Amino acid sequence: MILSKYAFLIQKEIFHNMGYADLLMLSFVSKNMKKLIKLTQKKRFETISSITYECNGRNLPKVQIANKHGWDIVLDMACHQNWSILMEITKLGKGRYNNFQLNVSGKILDVLIGNKGDHPTLCVLSRDKESVFESIHNYFLDFFGSSVQYYWSVDGYDIPNLQNVSFCIDLRLAWQFREMEKLETFFSSSPVFKWVGLEAFGSSQPFNPESKFYQAESIRIIQLFHTFPAILRYFKGRQAILKCEEWQTSEGLVEFVKRWKSGEAFQKLEYLKFELLHGEVLEEEILDEIEAKYIDAKKQPPMHSLPKVYDWHHVPSNPNTDPIISHAYVVRQSDNRVASVLIQEKTISFGVWNRTEEEFLKLMD
Amino acid sequence: MSSTEQGTSSAAPAEPTTAPESAAAPEVPESFYYVHGKDKVVHKVSAGALQHSALIHGMISNLGYTEEQAKANPFPFENIDGDILQMVVDWCNQHKGKPTPPEDTNLPKQKEKLFDLVLAVNYLEIKELLTYCCKQVAMMVKGKSPEEIREIWMIPTDAEDEAAEKEAKKRAGKEAAGETAAAAGDAK
Repeated sequence: MILSKYAFLIQKEIFHNMGYADLLMLSFVSKNMKKLIKLTQKKRFETISSITYECNGRNLPKVQIANKHGWDIVLDMACHQNWSILMEITKLGKGRYNNFQLNVSGKILDVLIGNKGDHPTLCVLSRDKESVFESIHNYFLDFFGSSVQYYWSVDGYDIPNLQNVSFCIDLRLAWQFREMEKLETFFSSSPVFKWVGLEAFGSSQPFNPESKFYQAESIRIIQLFHTFPAILRYFKGRQAILKCEEWQTSEGLVEFVKRWKSGEAFQKLEYLKFELLHGEVLEEEILDEIEAKYIDAKKQPPMHSLPKVYDWHHVPSNPNTDPIISHAYVVRQSDNRVASVLIQEKTISFGVWNRTEEEFLKLMD
Repeated sequence: MSSTEQGTSSAAPAEPTTAPESAAAPEVPESFYYVHGKDKVVHKVSAGALQHSALIHGMISNLGYTEEQAKANPFPFENIDGDILQMVVDWCNQHKGKPTPPEDTNLPKQKEKLFDLVLAVNYLEIKELLTYCCKQVAMMVKGKSPEEIREIWMIPTDAEDEAAEKEAKKRAGKEAAGETAAAAGDAK
């Protein structure tokens, strides 16, 4: 069967019926084939919302494309310092593997490729891992396009130097955590994170208020006290979800709303959800202290919900922040922007509208 | 696979074979047309079954042939092998007036047969069958390495592509030179 004898439209239809992993392997067959795939699959590739290099618990990433139901795995990667062990690892798949050279972005790489399930596994020697990954990433930028959002998702301190990648990290600090300095150095030497997840129960030493940690675009913290990390005080990003074990008073939260209202801080904030796991949330008292305003009780308040900056668990059915529907709201003095405030049992939600108070109230007319 | 009895004669035009009717016979007598491939074996196919082919449907829609006229004027598809046309006719008969299922597992597994079927189906403009065939072709390389894919689809290497390109340029240059010389000759 000679593929090139088919008309362009047939080739296009064949490629359309191939998964991303197979298209990737096909693109390595020849330069012309790669060009043809890019030409015929342009529209399909443009619909890819993101490609994630997922390194959780691994030393090299698994490359995945988000789809409506979950993930398409494009490429798995494994590395070891010993080639024969790599061959054994690769054979563990379906017992087939190929040892061949790949020309990835002008760099000739010796690789092993085997199949575990529906995707290839690229095996590289430990010493080559960084250069191989850089080449692979450059190849993806060219193949899938640079308009795709690329994420590097990791649960450790391993952040490579890659262009056009948004970094997402999930960390758990041990109860006896005493390496605050190392953590600060890590954040200061890393690019600003797209998303940070942090479980912090054991530290008493705070982050520097200017730490890049607070500059992350989106954050999800599970903390013992709301003072560490002090998101309610220093967060500079767009979306934050905080789960706090306990609090002494609601002072920190009230202070947060007051500083937002004055316009002195949290200018980029779009959404904040604060959940208290143990303790009391005095709804009336908090609303009084932040001097909340109220929509006419007879009117149905508008719903505040935004696309999540990043979804660590990738739940395609739930791409947006939790809806906020509340009669209570506050207004920022500097630009007259509105934020809905919802207090439900032990959860306080704060959703900023890109509307002035007048525009906001008109939503209910 | 076959729901059509294969004609035995290779003489042109051969005696037509008749596609068996689907379970429920139509109340209004259906019109039939006749097609043959490279082997000249003529297949009798109902207009309903032929609706799958945009090409044939376009050809017959304004003909208004009587049964005799249709029989006397089978549509010749000399570029399609007889066994491939048989497969196409069978498929059209099996799917006459029915919604097409998401998968079709009855397609040929042999590479060359599938290759020819794709060409025929594309020529006859049978969209659904083309989609099935393309899926099947795509499945041939599922989970394969670049070298295996190259072998299956006979894809030239970069060096072969470059050599072919050079050759094409050389040929084009020669042809252009030939045309210039001819034009100069004409001018004299």
